[in-house]
Amino acid sequence: MRTDLSRLPPSTPEEIRAMTRRAGLDLPEELMQQFIAVWPAFEAMVRRIPRDLDRAAEPAHSYRPQRIVRA
Amino acid sequence: MPNSAGLYDQRELSPVEVTRSLLDRIAAYDGKLHSLIRVTPEVALAEAQAAERELMTGSRRGPLHGIPYALKDIVETAGIPTTGHSKLCQDHVPAADAHLVTLLKAGGAVLIGKLATWEFALGGPSWDLPWPPARNPWNPNYLPGGSSSGAGAAVAAGFVPGAIGTDTGGSIRGPAAVCGIAGLKPTYGRVSRRGVFPNTFTMDHCGPLTRSAEDIALFLQVIAGFDAEDPGSEDVPVPDYRAALTGRLDGLRLGLVEHWYAHGAHPDLAPAMSAAVEVLRGLGAVIEPVQLSSLRDYTDCKTTISIAELYAIHEKDLKTRPQDFGRILRNRVLPGALIRAEDYMQALRWRTVLAREQALALKRYDALLTAGALNVADPADPNQPDRLVSSPSITMPFSVGGLPALAIPCGFSRGEGLPLSLQIAAAPMREPTGLRIAHAYQLVTDWHRRHPDLH
Repeated sequence: MRTDLSRLPPSTPEEIRAMTRRAGLDLPEELMQQFIAVWPAFEAMVRRIPRDLDRAAEPAHSYRPQRIVRA
Repeated sequence: MPNSAGLYDQRELSPVEVTRSLLDRIAAYDGKLHSLIRVTPEVALAEAQAAERELMTGSRRGPLHGIPYALKDIVETAGIPTTGHSKLCQDHVPAADAHLVTLLKAGGAVLIGKLATWEFALGGPSWDLPWPPARNPWNPNYLPGGSSSGAGAAVAAGFVPGAIGTDTGGSIRGPAAVCGIAGLKPTYGRVSRRGVFPNTFTMDHCGPLTRSAEDIALFLQVIAGFDAEDPGSEDVPVPDYRAALTGRLDGLRLGLVEHWYAHGAHPDLAPAMSAAVEVLRGLGAVIEPVQLSSLRDYTDCKTTISIAELYAIHEKDLKTRPQDFGRILRNRVLPGALIRAEDYMQALRWRTVLAREQALALKRYDALLTAGALNVADPADPNQPDRLVSSPSITMPFSVGGLPALAIPCGFSRGEGLPLSLQIAAAPMREPTGLRIAHAYQLVTDWHRRHPDLH
């Protein structure tokens, strides 16, 4: 089993509104309705991400201190 | 383009004449294609005249000297508005050129104008922005793909011999595929991103769209190289890309990722791919099937990373003026507000796993082959549903891998008469291998020499 998150039920419109408020977004109602319509597909996508990678699996970005400060 | 350069040298063709001719063509036909959101005739003619003066003295700056080109309008140009095709940046006039523009100017290239894009290289096609979406020159009732929509349309329409686009998940290769031209996403870090509006910091690439692989080589020669001010730039020597174009593929082993397009793609795609594979075999390549993770996996990984990074980029504007974004961009980026830190990190860790499987495949093969797009161009219909998440992408795998990947035309659909495309990916910094394969294919096929009728 790669992940168990895909078994979770989709968020309800009320839950989506609450999460959006917690993220600091105060969307006009028309835009909120659009967001409530599109979020489930994104939520399903995020829940498909595997959660059982090896502990040592590195993220695909690196910190290179010599390259951070611009010339 | 090599012919143009040769004719310039022989003084049988003039950069000023070529530039005037292209400006006339744009004036005549771009009214229905909308590929350019800003034409820069004064700049173009001044640069063409300067190039002509230098070429007349026998001085040649490089392969693009006197060659016209256009820029996706997320590439900053000093003194020339750079809008991201967005209401938010409608009046943005940069003070400095993007690094790659500096290189193109130093190489004597001639800027014709700024090209339509999906909003901030993601949100499109959109009908609620200050400029209309670009249309496909093969049939204006269809779209040219995106996000480098104007670049694909302008090159296919013959408005410019080459354009600079950007590619985060397929935004160079997609338009190239559905417009019947060539487009290269170079290796991550091969071409500087400095001065280009960001989309996804860890996956943004700049690259050329042209008619042929040989022209891609000439553009890449000028824009590739290390930039100490781009934290993602790689300090790797730039080879002579044109020298790699030998015309033969003897000794090359290629992996065919057929399962990515075997189901659910346009019915004419698999036969076109099979024919292309036979052509490559005839040129000496050994081709074997390769199995990689599914397009669904690659698309989920890439899109999760992208929307988290995009939200960080646009958070301030989304919170203060969300109505100023186009509907599609807003609805693609707002979900980033609900991506948790652990989701983003797991996707980045997954990216390493997926990139490693490609790296392992490229230890066995010199390059990977697959389709450049799963379908022909989409109809220009404002009511089409957004398929960013629902439809897996065949270009995103090599975005996840950061590999050089090139799309070239390999046929046309029978019903719509629209282009089909072959995609070639190679190991990091192995652009010469991909270009060699594409060039050899184009020496014995003529798909890239077909032009849409604009009348």
